[in-house]
Amino acid sequence: MSRPPHAPPSPPAASDAALPAPDPAVPVPVRALPLWANPRLGLLVLLVILVVVFSSLRSEFLNTSLTLEPMQADLSVTVVVGLAQLSVLSLGHMNLAVGRIAAVSAFAMGWAYDKLSVPLPVGLLIGLAVGALVGAAAGWTIQATGVNSFVVTLALDFGLVGLVSLLYSGVGDGVAFHVHPAGMDSLRNDTFSDYCTGSVCGPPVPLIVPIALVAALAVGLLFRYARLGREILMTGSGLKAAELSGIPTARRVVQAHSLSGLLAALAGFLLAINNGAFSADIGSQFLLPSFLGPVLGGTLLAGGAVSVIGTVLGAAITEVIQTGLTLLQFQVEKLKIFIGLVLLAALSLDRVRHVVAERRGGGA
Amino acid sequence: MTTLTPPERRPRLPRLPERIAGTETTLAALAVAGYVVLAATTHGAVVSGGTLTAIFQFLAVPMVIGLSQMAVLSVGQMNLGVGVLTGFCAMVCAWLMVAAGLPAWLAVAGALLTGAAIGLVNGLLVVLTRINGFVVTLATMTIIDGLRYGVHGTATYQGYSHRLVSLGQGSVLGVPTVFLAAVAIAILVAFFFRSVPLGRRLLASGGNPLAARLSGVSNDRSLVVAHLVSGLLAGAAGVMVVALSGSVNATIGDDLLLPSFAAPIIGGVALAGGVVSVLGTCLAALIIRLVDVAQAQYSINPDWVDLIVGAVVLGAVLITQLRRPRAGGTP
Repeated sequence: MSRPPHAPPSPPAASDAALPAPDPAVPVPVRALPLWANPRLGLLVLLVILVVVFSSLRSEFLNTSLTLEPMQADLSVTVVVGLAQLSVLSLGHMNLAVGRIAAVSAFAMGWAYDKLSVPLPVGLLIGLAVGALVGAAAGWTIQATGVNSFVVTLALDFGLVGLVSLLYSGVGDGVAFHVHPAGMDSLRNDTFSDYCTGSVCGPPVPLIVPIALVAALAVGLLFRYARLGREILMTGSGLKAAELSGIPTARRVVQAHSLSGLLAALAGFLLAINNGAFSADIGSQFLLPSFLGPVLGGTLLAGGAVSVIGTVLGAAITEVIQTGLTLLQFQVEKLKIFIGLVLLAALSLDRVRHVVAERRGGGA
Repeated sequence: MTTLTPPERRPRLPRLPERIAGTETTLAALAVAGYVVLAATTHGAVVSGGTLTAIFQFLAVPMVIGLSQMAVLSVGQMNLGVGVLTGFCAMVCAWLMVAAGLPAWLAVAGALLTGAAIGLVNGLLVVLTRINGFVVTLATMTIIDGLRYGVHGTATYQGYSHRLVSLGQGSVLGVPTVFLAAVAIAILVAFFFRSVPLGRRLLASGGNPLAARLSGVSNDRSLVVAHLVSGLLAGAAGVMVVALSGSVNATIGDDLLLPSFAAPIIGGVALAGGVVSVLGTCLAALIIRLVDVAQAQYSINPDWVDLIVGAVVLGAVLITQLRRPRAGGTP
């Protein structure tokens, strides 16, 4: 692929995600916001405050095997789910089918382990391929028909709900594959502290955490440095402009959705590892967290700007609140009220901070 | 979610009512054909009184839920809280009767007021914070989901006002009263969007916010009103659930969110705002209901229903898209 004649400059807003919608008449002056206005910093401070508050209220919050290890395992899933949504938010699209893509991929993995007895990595690859294919199919439908991504993935979600149940009742015992390919149990139960060289043991980090970290790093690098990622962002911020600049926008749409499907499949795999079974209900709880992480982290729904670090922080905050309130013996329903309130508060504060920062910056 | 349509597409706007009318005709034909096929293949089971009553009784809530979503779609917004809000209003209504001992009509008014108040809060949040409506309702959905269980835990309310339940389960001249209520609501909503200046302003804001503002329409007010109407309709759906089922618990509304989008989308309502179709939304709800009935009549695996609804949603949108002159690939 040759470089387009008018390669557009990378948008300055891409790394600073939460710029308010600019007035179309007034060009946004390219000006660095002050450090304290960086939304990621605010999230980090909030995260630290939450951890301090919870650990002072309940000392069990810092208990390694009771709290920290399960929390990290859950967080790994949430982060990858958030990244799956982020991949299409970059286009200004949505993927309402993240959960079902995870479910159908988990079925493929479970089936491969159960019927084909493939080793763990091979099954994972099969699942990822299924997820990427389903995502690509959604992306292809969207770009070929011009139908809103919300509608297409909504229909896909409906379709896959039925399909997954049919698949599980057609093959296997109808609910789940209770398979244990070599390595799955240690991936589930072990942490790096179980592996020692001499007297030096690793940190109490579950083995699945690096998988999520690698995914986050890869997605972050893709959207920051890779040509593919930059072009997806440009497609998201202005389809016409991207097309006129020689970007194959249709292909970028398919690729972004395919990436979303792949990450959803990875999230399904991680959850199946955490649960210990490949079951039909995998992914049924993915939709809300998939938006919570990126949105808290400052990824725009309008497209053209993503923040991977923000997504990780946003997911971490949700996870810390959930774990903390559970330890404080809050019931599930109160927990939800708090998560909703925190989401609203964080987003409103973000707005306030930006308005203030803009005003000060304008006066300087 | 509001997108400005580039000027060169303007002249095509007058075609939209035509397109909607076409969609409505197609849907009506589809519904009739589906019903005839059902009647013929089940040896008239769906024509008998009991089944026919059940079809229309359980059509009422999906219809009103679809209209509730349509109200916010009219300004180009979404309301993810429609399902849980219905459940919450149903719980509030039952709580007012059982725990607070209020008469049924006060409880009904209370539930409607609750729905409208939450809709108003949604609208104000959208306008005041300038955060995307999708995200605002995502947050309030999470909160209402918690509140819904906060009313009475996972326990069930039953044995409330027998008059309300007998009214809800009764029928007038063979037509279920809840269905009549749903039709009355649909007519009111249609009247609101067709003939009331406020309703016209919502459509103006949804169709082209800039043009609406230049014509003196307050887009902010349109957003607040749209969310308020949506909340009120969700409250009405909650009351219907209470009257129809005779017992309610906090799981009500769990399975209503996706159908709430399916009905307006199949019915030809534009996600971008500015175009609504009350008749299309109601017909689409009927078609989805017929798929449900077919599942029960043929004792098909219920999982097929979702698969078919998914295909119908996509198919309906594709047909609409194909009929419209190609307006570029903007999703």
